[in-house]
Amino acid sequence: MPSSTLNTVIEDLKGIVGERWVITQRELMESYLRDETPDPVRPKPAENLVLVKPSSTEEVSLILKIANDRRIPVFPVGGRTGLVGGSVPTEPGIILSLERMNRIEVDRDNLMAVAEAGATLGELIKAAEDAGLFFPPHPGDEGAQIGGLIATNAGGARAIKYGVMRNYVRGLEVVLPTSEVLWLGGKTLKNNVGYDLMQLIIGSEGTLCVITKAVIRLFPKSKYMVTLVIPFNKRSDALKSVPAILRSGVMPLAVEYVQINEVLEAARHLNESWPVQRGFAQLIIILDGMSQEEVLGACEEISKICEANNALDIFLAETSEEQSRILRIRSNIYTALKPNMVDILDVTVPPSRLEELMDEVDAIGSKYGVYLPAYGHAGDGNLHVHIMKDAGNEHVAKKIKDEIYEEAIRLGGTITGEHGLGKIRLENLQMVLSEKHLDLLRSIKRVFDPNNILNPRGL
Amino acid sequence: MNIIVLMKQVPEIEKVRFDPEKGRLDRSSAGATTNPFDLNALEAAVSMGPMKAEEMLRDAIARGADRAILLSDEMFAGADTLATAYTLSAAIKKIGSFDLVICGEKTVDGDTAQVGPEVAEFLNIPHVAFVEEILQVDSCSITVKARMERSSYIIRLSLPALITVTKDVNNPRLPTLRDKLRAMRTPITIWGYKDLAEVADPRYFGFEGSPTRVVKVYTPTAERRRGQMISGQPEEIAQKIVQVLLENKVL
Amino acid sequence: MAAALKTGLTADCVDLDLDDDGNLLQIRPAFSGNIMAQIKTRTKPQMATVRYRVMKPLNRDPCRRGEVIVREAEVPEGTGIEILDKVEIMGVNISEADIIVAAGRGLKSPEDFKLLQELASLLGGVLGSSRPLVDSGWIGKEHQVGFSGNVVKPKVYMAFGISGAPQHLFGMRDSDIIIAVNKDPSAPIIGVSDYYVVGDLYEVIPPLINEIKRVKGLVK
Repeated sequence: MPSSTLNTVIEDLKGIVGERWVITQRELMESYLRDETPDPVRPKPAENLVLVKPSSTEEVSLILKIANDRRIPVFPVGGRTGLVGGSVPTEPGIILSLERMNRIEVDRDNLMAVAEAGATLGELIKAAEDAGLFFPPHPGDEGAQIGGLIATNAGGARAIKYGVMRNYVRGLEVVLPTSEVLWLGGKTLKNNVGYDLMQLIIGSEGTLCVITKAVIRLFPKSKYMVTLVIPFNKRSDALKSVPAILRSGVMPLAVEYVQINEVLEAARHLNESWPVQRGFAQLIIILDGMSQEEVLGACEEISKICEANNALDIFLAETSEEQSRILRIRSNIYTALKPNMVDILDVTVPPSRLEELMDEVDAIGSKYGVYLPAYGHAGDGNLHVHIMKDAGNEHVAKKIKDEIYEEAIRLGGTITGEHGLGKIRLENLQMVLSEKHLDLLRSIKRVFDPNNILNPRGL
Repeated sequence: MNIIVLMKQVPEIEKVRFDPEKGRLDRSSAGATTNPFDLNALEAAVSMGPMKAEEMLRDAIARGADRAILLSDEMFAGADTLATAYTLSAAIKKIGSFDLVICGEKTVDGDTAQVGPEVAEFLNIPHVAFVEEILQVDSCSITVKARMERSSYIIRLSLPALITVTKDVNNPRLPTLRDKLRAMRTPITIWGYKDLAEVADPRYFGFEGSPTRVVKVYTPTAERRRGQMISGQPEEIAQKIVQVLLENKVL
Repeated sequence: MAAALKTGLTADCVDLDLDDDGNLLQIRPAFSGNIMAQIKTRTKPQMATVRYRVMKPLNRDPCRRGEVIVREAEVPEGTGIEILDKVEIMGVNISEADIIVAAGRGLKSPEDFKLLQELASLLGGVLGSSRPLVDSGWIGKEHQVGFSGNVVKPKVYMAFGISGAPQHLFGMRDSDIIIAVNKDPSAPIIGVSDYYVVGDLYEVIPPLINEIKRVKGLVK
């Protein structure tokens, strides 16, 4: 697209959203040109861009109409907390930030929230809490926005009991690239009217439409919640405990696996201290329930299993302050390691194969003479592996990544469990999808977005 | 060494809602938790509060306390800092032998930081407030580092003594599940008005014994952000910002 | 002292007043500053302490004549308290600071933190930073404000060139007063500020430093 095309629409955009909300100076849109992807692998943003901040679905629709008519690429962005460059505007065009559309209404009778796309995860957690309800998942950074959480089908910790983002969305208001507004689903818990376009859009990473509003399922606030921290000397002992715990009938919100080096590093980064200083391998288990009795009963069950697997001890955080400190340190392992990081992977295998996968990752690490920090959502078989700068050059880092991917696939897993494809995983897509499968995906993209204006990235 | 820790159960502060019209707190939405500063103090526990506070004392046992005493009686209710300090000191006298009394620097609800020092006065023992590090303890003294404004002081106290500790003194350890379960079965000693009347003058307990009265409670008005634009030439802007700083007494 | 005199004490008052009967009305925050309480004392003497810097010192009035009473004080022996040493506090503790002068991406180079440091020093405050500058190594992690840094609650938070990503707002939204200076009128930080300037930090800070120096009597 010639830069003159973009310049001709700037006045129109100002007419739609008001002059204040159209930003053309590069230095003022700096933070919209990147997400949380580590620098070495993050795609470079394009040069000629305009940032637009609409305040309503109507304005989004008018913007997309202009963009579609003039064939101008549009990059919807949320809180820019993604890890695969999904929201980076890689072609000249419009950056569409829905941050002003941030209203949340809680419907207590139906246990649902109606949230606009620009509201943040932190705001949703708080709104639910204020209404005496609970939004269980916690995909890391609380600055993430609802639109982005849905577009990327975010996962994170606390996904065992009630699942990932997809399981919470009951309805969506979306604007198609051709400017029509659609309502999909609604406040019903069941809906069986034909193909489920809503589920297709969840996880479509801003390539099919712009999500403007969502109906999100909430849960009753549990009366009692605890976080257990369980240290083990050996990784195999920690990981062996996980399937046994899940088989025992206990249903935790989260089962996280961490290694001591990384949690201590994250705690240092936050100027906090990690509550359990011994044991190389640690499980963090979050449990909730209707009463202290019920939850402590489940804790005893877990305790029996872990002790049979040589747990060193079982620590219990009961106060909300202590529990949120543990979760915040866990959530910041990534930020603590980021300055020295090349890439973060989120390979996922059947939960029972996690130990094998970690052993393979170690083997790959020693083969290349590098340390590959790894931790993950053990209950989901979802492993985060960091490739650090000690890998040397980009070429070696890429080889390490590809080998880890091959191992995950060999173990019956996949290359990404939660971060998605974004712009930096497309090159590995053929490892997991057949040509026919890819063909179908391309056809779907053409049906929604005939002119390929929405987050164009080659799929 | 016998250590007595004074504790209070407080509402979870971030969950307390305020009704600005009625000028009242709604504590019903908030769970109760151990005053976070007290967790830093914890070794052996004494608390004054309603029966519900038993939960907190059990938590104290799980975290390492050997014995827990709850002071609970209608006659103790409505106490201000002086009456609270008097009642707690009476309980300590009744316990008898001790080497050190520790409390958190303040509670998150009352925020006064004065109960600890007042207890020391009633017990006629030396005290230091805002201890951020315990440097040395032997059989007859304790050496601490205490914070006062921009400086810290290294102070030696002869025992028995009282210290109040800040968040920096330690990181409260997590209890183990085993200790937690054991604590749930441990009985808590409860002392009422009659138990303490032997060692103190009951006229100084509770509401009746409190010299201060809260006349009125209200929520501060500056709830909403003003969102006021400051514009003009850079010099004018500077003057206006300085005005704001002066009005808010930070300059 | 109050315990020794068996009288009431209201510490850390932010305001004092007298009622019609000449009793002291003591006003102080409680519940971590979420409510204000007005308190009276039934016993005498009525004792209160006031919070640092909430009262403005009056100008000197040379006409006033007061009686100076001199008493020999006897320092009691054996208080059981012995001060061994005094240590000045070094370094920053941003989570306790009353004033934070913070910078974000609007800062052009790490050297420019000197400009903010000068402003912070004049105000007795400390430097804060949004995450990108810490990630780039421009300033230490101990200065970082936000979800992945420090959570702060100063009396005044001055945000220069900080757009206000949710990650940052998480760490400073409970500040008493927020003053934002940003070139971008659409920046989210402006929506949460008490006072804002749409402008360049490099044009705002130097005259601000001068004005503060003037008010403090450091320059004419």
